[in-house]
Amino acid sequence: MTKGEPGTLSLYECMFLLDNAVVREDWKKAKSVITDAVAKHGGSVVTSRRWDERRLAYTIRGKNRATYVLSYLEIPGANLPGLRRELELSERVLRYLLLKVDEIPATEHELTSAENADGFTVPTPPPDDVVEPEPILPVQETLEDILAEGEMDDRPRGRRPERASAEVAP
Amino acid sequence: MSRDRRAPLPPIAGRNCDDAWPEYKDLENLKRFLNGSAQIYSRKRTGFCSQCQKALKQAVKRARHIGLLPFVG
Repeated sequence: MTKGEPGTLSLYECMFLLDNAVVREDWKKAKSVITDAVAKHGGSVVTSRRWDERRLAYTIRGKNRATYVLSYLEIPGANLPGLRRELELSERVLRYLLLKVDEIPATEHELTSAENADGFTVPTPPPDDVVEPEPILPVQETLEDILAEGEMDDRPRGRRPERASAEVAP
Repeated sequence: MSRDRRAPLPPIAGRNCDDAWPEYKDLENLKRFLNGSAQIYSRKRTGFCSQCQKALKQAVKRARHIGLLPFVG
């Protein structure tokens, strides 16, 4: 991978995990956490929208739920380490994933403008300890699946044959 | 006494190499290629070519990093 000239803006896709406590206070304030951090390091946010609010697969910084924000940024590659450091130190951003992309998907502009419209309201995130009922799914993994993965051995199972010496009467 | 090995399952169908590579946000699609413990199926099972399997691996690891998928199921 070749690096561009210093100061050249590159396009990045970034998924942020925001603390739900910040989202509950004010959605615009929560989004400004991202905008301010990027602007501070000489970049700009092209599109930014709420992707989802969901339960995390594992606890991150003591939180079980978080709001996912999908953003597309333009920022000089040389300023990325500073941005990364700021995001890692921020208490409001639980985690982030920053990827270089070639272009913004066509739907992102529409979804972002729909979110910025006047009538849009962000649903209040549920409390952190809410347990959602898990959907009952049919069991997909069958014995054939396990055998097809192929790590089962062929050794015979069951009790060992008793030794002849055990049958000798005292 | 050895048990007969059963024939392996056919690869998980539904994807060609010409399609877009798996993305970390497409959770429903990614879960098709994970077993009950959230481990990635082997190439033998997914039926992917080398590049597609690598793309799948990358997508699953990204999804794990941002808490969409567990590291251990």
